[in-house]
Amino acid sequence: MQTDPEDRYLAREMSVIPYEPLLPIEKKLIVWSLILGLVLLGVLWWVTQVFFSPEVMAR
Amino acid sequence: MAMRAWLASEDWWAVWLGLLLALLAMPAAAGFDLLGWAVTTSVWLDPTRALAPLRGNLPGVVSLGLTYLFLLAIVGLGAYAQGLNLRRFFPAFTIVFAVSYLCWFVGNFAYIAQTPDKWSSMGIDWSLGLTPEAGYIVALLAGLVIGNGFPALAGWLREAARPEWYIKTAIILLGAALGVRAAERTGLMTTVMLRGLAAIIEAYLIYWALVYFIARKYFRFSREWAAPLASGISICGVSAAIATGEAIRARPIVPIMVSSLVVVFSVVELIALPFAAQFFLWTEPLVAAAWMGLAVKTDGAAIASGAIAQSLVQARAREAGIAYADGWMLNTTTTVKIFIDVFIGIWALVLSAIWVYKIDRRPGEKVPVAAILQRFPKFVLGYFLLFLMLLSVALIWPASREPLRSATAETELFRGIFFVLTFFSIGLSANFKRLWAEGIGRLALVYLLSLFGFIIWIGLAISWIFFHGVYPG
Repeated sequence: MQTDPEDRYLAREMSVIPYEPLLPIEKKLIVWSLILGLVLLGVLWWVTQVFFSPEVMAR
Repeated sequence: MAMRAWLASEDWWAVWLGLLLALLAMPAAAGFDLLGWAVTTSVWLDPTRALAPLRGNLPGVVSLGLTYLFLLAIVGLGAYAQGLNLRRFFPAFTIVFAVSYLCWFVGNFAYIAQTPDKWSSMGIDWSLGLTPEAGYIVALLAGLVIGNGFPALAGWLREAARPEWYIKTAIILLGAALGVRAAERTGLMTTVMLRGLAAIIEAYLIYWALVYFIARKYFRFSREWAAPLASGISICGVSAAIATGEAIRARPIVPIMVSSLVVVFSVVELIALPFAAQFFLWTEPLVAAAWMGLAVKTDGAAIASGAIAQSLVQARAREAGIAYADGWMLNTTTTVKIFIDVFIGIWALVLSAIWVYKIDRRPGEKVPVAAILQRFPKFVLGYFLLFLMLLSVALIWPASREPLRSATAETELFRGIFFVLTFFSIGLSANFKRLWAEGIGRLALVYLLSLFGFIIWIGLAISWIFFHGVYPG
């Protein structure tokens, strides 16, 4: 059924993806990304509300 | 070498085309109209009255012919400089332009496009009310039909079906109109830019980490696959997948396969999300606009979604007697998307440093800074150049705003044409059959789960947090 050489190549690639357990540095990247994201969410929201509120900016 | 890149890359040619069109449009502000012959299409009941030049008395069909020849010449010049096969490009572009403009024409049919507030003035008592931007949807559908139903024809047309080139040119042209518009609402423009920046910082940090974790932990992708996949799904599709692939030294097949999925799913989003925004977010137009920028991948599909969402939301608001200032939704989507593009390079550098120094640890290998910087989207420069120039002029000489509006009417006209070319080209490029290719299922599944499981919703939440209560009114 499958004739596209690119598809055959992809199927082969997908079937041989090696299992690589998460390294500690990857876990750190994920966790710190999320922590930084959540902390910045609060900080940036506060900054926009205080200094760039819709009332101030709607000029 | 650098000079050749300036002349040979699609990204740079978007800049040249955008600047050329702006340069030709600007004399109109001083009364020297160089592009007034270009064609416009009004909402019509009588097709013979639909086409007309922007200014002057040319017959509409002549104006359309001139517009086609002009675009063929300048786009052909860019195609030649990029080394495309002109013997294939010229006929393919002719068909792409003809079908795209036909779709735009059909989309302007009053029973499809006209909004309820103008039904009586046109003598009709019903319409789908999709606004003239319905032409974009028609073009997208036509592209999808040809792309998936007539693969041989689609393959032939692909030489001229270049959605990224067309949308980047359109974005640069948008910079001109936005500069003039922003001069009148500097406060609103500042808040859109700052909130847009805040929103994309959030999106990067939260989206990427979640998708990477899911791809690695539950779908057991290797790092080589998971990182470009996470960037492609979570950030900005094709360009992010390629930049990340380069940053972590993945094989070229990886970002290519990710990109093919990105295009397909972005079409699904492009069709669904603007209508969802119209239904649920018509009272929060800038939330809807930022959502399009954060949730829809690829520049073309995202900006296209912003354009459709803008027309649908404005139409719905008009029914309720609310008139949002024109253009601000599209500006917001574009701002968010442009910041995302700018940050791709920064994120790629971060990933590259982690891979080089912590994961691969190949002796002597360094962060490929030059290669990553080369991927900086050049069209952003063109966009900001036009935006800042026109903003400065309009702020320094307030009396210039009205004449500049007249000039940017011409850049906006060509922006609309590049938009419709983008929509048709996106449809042509989205090959849904790839979803059934052996081996793609696992990639598609992680994409599907991430996109519809949380990316769309987190994007909506972030948009709400930063744009709730900001009105372009």
